[in-house]
Amino acid sequence: MGFKEFWEEFFRYKSGIAGLILLFGLAFMAIGAPLLAPTEAYENWLNDEYWVENPEGVPPTWAAWLMGKNLPGHIIMTDPVEEDRWQEPLPWGARVYRWVFKYDFYYDEPPKDLMFRVLGVTRGEKAPLIRIKIVRPDEKEITITCNYKLSERFRDTNCISISVTGTKEARFDPLSKGATWRFAEKYETEENMIKAIGMVIDEMDIVFREAGPGMIFGDTPLLHGTYKFIITVKMYNPGDRFDGMRVIVAGKVYGLLGTDIRGRDLWVGIVWGSRLALIVGLIGSVVSTVVGVFYGTVSAYLGGIKDEILQRIYEVVASIPVLPILILMAAIFKPSVWNLALMMALFYWTGPVKTVRSMALQIKEEPYVEAARAIGASGWRILTKYIANQVLPYTFALMAMTVPGVILTEAGISFLMGGEIISEPTWGRILGDAHGYSKMWWWILPPGFMICLTGLSFVLIGYALDKILNPMLKR
Amino acid sequence: MGYGRYVLFRLANMFVVLILVTVISAALFYAAGEAFLWDLVMSHVNAEVSAYRQQYPTATEEEIRRFKQEREKFWMDYYGLTKPLWERVLTTTWNLMTFNFGKALQLRTPGGSDKVIDLILDRLPNTILLFTVGDLITMAIGIYLGMKAAKNVGSLLDRAISTFAMVTYSLPMWWTGMLMIMVFSYYIPNPFNPYEGLFPSGGILSPEVPPDPFLRFLDFLWHLTLPVTTLVLVSFGGWAYATRNIVLGTLQQDFVMAARAKGLPERKVLYGHVLRASSPAIATSVILSVIGSLGGAMISETVFNWPGMGNLAWMAIANMDFPVLLGWMYVTTLIWLLTLIVIDLIYGLLDPRVKVGIAVKGT
Repeated sequence: MGFKEFWEEFFRYKSGIAGLILLFGLAFMAIGAPLLAPTEAYENWLNDEYWVENPEGVPPTWAAWLMGKNLPGHIIMTDPVEEDRWQEPLPWGARVYRWVFKYDFYYDEPPKDLMFRVLGVTRGEKAPLIRIKIVRPDEKEITITCNYKLSERFRDTNCISISVTGTKEARFDPLSKGATWRFAEKYETEENMIKAIGMVIDEMDIVFREAGPGMIFGDTPLLHGTYKFIITVKMYNPGDRFDGMRVIVAGKVYGLLGTDIRGRDLWVGIVWGSRLALIVGLIGSVVSTVVGVFYGTVSAYLGGIKDEILQRIYEVVASIPVLPILILMAAIFKPSVWNLALMMALFYWTGPVKTVRSMALQIKEEPYVEAARAIGASGWRILTKYIANQVLPYTFALMAMTVPGVILTEAGISFLMGGEIISEPTWGRILGDAHGYSKMWWWILPPGFMICLTGLSFVLIGYALDKILNPMLKR
Repeated sequence: MGYGRYVLFRLANMFVVLILVTVISAALFYAAGEAFLWDLVMSHVNAEVSAYRQQYPTATEEEIRRFKQEREKFWMDYYGLTKPLWERVLTTTWNLMTFNFGKALQLRTPGGSDKVIDLILDRLPNTILLFTVGDLITMAIGIYLGMKAAKNVGSLLDRAISTFAMVTYSLPMWWTGMLMIMVFSYYIPNPFNPYEGLFPSGGILSPEVPPDPFLRFLDFLWHLTLPVTTLVLVSFGGWAYATRNIVLGTLQQDFVMAARAKGLPERKVLYGHVLRASSPAIATSVILSVIGSLGGAMISETVFNWPGMGNLAWMAIANMDFPVLLGWMYVTTLIWLLTLIVIDLIYGLLDPRVKVGIAVKGT
C-alpha cells in the first residue's frame, strides 16, 4: 500500500482523524511547553523556595466566575506609589527607606494572605529593622510590625519575609500574628475574644472587614476601598543594601489551573507533564512493540523446537507480576522518565508476541511463500520480504494501542512512588501529591483528564490503523 | 498424543514456567533490594549500639566493638544477607514451591500474626469480595449491552458503546476512584450526618463497627459501593465491546442463517443459538478476568484504602518486606497459571483440534 493510498484510507475513519487532531494538540503542548509555561518554573518544581509567594491550594481564576463570585486574584506589587529615602542626622547615620503601596479592594472575599518581602538583603553587624503599617479605607491603622529584626532562623535567606496570616511559617516569619489580634481586640467584644482562643482565625478577616464585634469570625461586612501599605526599613551599616521590595496580595484564585498545597502553579505541571507522558508513552511502546514483533515473527518463522523454547521464555516473562517489580526497581534505581520507559519495555514486549506469531504462522503457510521457497529463496529473504513486509505495517497499529497502557503504568508508578523517585512533574506524580486532598477538584481533575486524553488519542489512531493495516481483517 | 499425555505435557510446562517465574522474580527482588537491606541493617545496628552505650556508660571500646559485630551478624542473618544472592534465590524458590512462605519482616495481620500465609489469607477474601461482586455486575451489564449492540450494528447504542469502550480503555481506574471519592465522599453530604460524605472515602468497615451482624453487613455494603461502582464504570464498556465483537463473529456463521431460515424468532436465534455458541469465548474471558483480579489492584486498592491483596503488595514494597512480596507473587502466579491450564484442559477435552495441534507441534 502506497503512502498516498494509506492516508486516503486513513481519512475515511473519523476516529483516526479525531485521534490525530488530539495528538497534534498534545504534541503542540509538549513541544511548545517552554512558551506556554516558564522553563524556570518547571525546573524548580521541587524547590519550595521558588513557589513561596504563591497562594497555597487555591482554585483557578475562572473558578470564581463558575462560583458567581468576584474573588481577589494574585497580585505582586513592585512599584510603590510613593518612595522616600533619607539619612538620619545622627553620627552613625542610619539610612531609612519608606514605600507606600496601594491596593484597591472591591472583592467578595478577602485575599488569601498578605506578604511583604525585602529581597536580596546584604547586611552588616546590626540587622536592618522593618516597620509595616496597613492603613485601611476607614482610616484605621494596623501596625503589623514596628521594630522587626530578621530573626536568626532566616539569616541565610537574605530576605525579610513577613506573612500576615503566618501560614508559611517555614519561610515567612509569623511574628505578625499578634498584630492583627491586637487590632481586633480594640473593636471586638470580650466574649468573642475568649471564644476565639484556640480557634483557627483567618487574619485576613480582621484586615479586610469592617471593625466591630464579630469581625474576628468574619461576621462583619467587607470593607471595600483603597488600602495603603506603608513599609519602612532602617539600615545601620554603610554597606547594607537590598535588591527590591515587593508586596504580595495572595489571591483566592490563581492562574489557569490554580495551585496545589505547596503553592505550585498546576498549569506548569500539566503543560510540562505532556512532554513527559509523550516521551514515556512513545519510547515504551516503540521499544516494546519492535522487540515483541521481531520476537513473534522470528519465533513463528523458526518453528519446531526453537519456537517451543522461545514460547516458553515468552510465557515466563508474561507471567511475571510486572507492577510490583517495576515499582521496586523504580524505588531503588530512581530512574529518569527515559529509563523508566525502558524498564517498562523490558516486560511489555510480550504484548504483541501472541498476535504477531499467529499472524506470521498464517502468512508462512500462504502459497506464495511456498512458491518463493520452492524457487530457492533464502530464509532471510522469506523472513524480511514476505513475512515482515506484511506484519510491519501492522506494528504501527500495535504501537499506538500500547501507548495508553504504558502511560497508565507510568502514571500508576508515579502516583504510588511520586515524592520519592520521580523528580519531574509527571501527571501521575501530581495526582499522587493530590491524594488526600479530595476537595481540590482543580488539582485532581486536570492530570487524570490529560492522561485519559493522551491515551484516547492513541487508541483512536490505533483503532483506525488496525482497520487499515491488520492483514487478518483484510483477508 | 492421548488426553492423558496432553494433561501431563501442560502440567509439566506450567511447572517449569512457575519455577522460572519464581526464580526470576526472587532474583529481581533480592538484587534490587540488596542495598536497601544493607542500609536497614546498619540503621538497626547503629540504634542498638547507641542504646548500648547509654545503658553501659562504662563499656570499653573493645566491648562496644564486639557488641556491634554481634548485632551486625544477627541482623544480617535476619535479612539473610550472610548468604550469597544465588543461594538466597534458590532457597526462597524451594521454600515457596513447598508452600513454606515463612514470616513477614514487618507487616502483621490485625490479629498480630507475622506468618506470610496468614497475611495473604487475611487479605484474599477482601479482594475476592470486591472484585467478584464488581466483575459480576460488570459482566451482566457488559454482556447485555454487547448483545444489544451486536443486534443493531451501527445504531446509536452500538456507536456509543464503541466510543465509551475507547474512552475507558485509557481511563486510570484509580483516578476514577479519586473522582468518585471527591464527589461522593466530599461534595455530596450524607443526609443523616452532615459531617460525613454520602459514602465513606475508604476502608472496609467503619471504625466503630456495629456489633449486630446485619448492621455490620450494611456497613460493609456502604463501604463497598464506591469501589465497586468505580470498577464497573471503567470496565463495562470494554466488556460490552468485546462481547459485541464475539457475537458479531458468531452471527456470520452458517448455523445462524439456518436458524433464521427455519423461521425462528430473532430473540430465540440471538439468545438460544448465538449466545450459546459464543459462550465459550465469553466464559473464558470471564474466568480469566475474575482470576486475574485476585492479585488485587495495587493502586485502586490503595486509593480506596481497601485491605486487599493489591494493598498488601504495596505495603510489602513500601516496607521492603520481601517474604510477603514473594509470597504474594507466588500465590497470584500459581493461581493464574493453574487457571490457564484448567481452561486449556477443558478446551482440549471439548475441542479435539486443540490437542491435535499440540501433538503435531510436539513431535
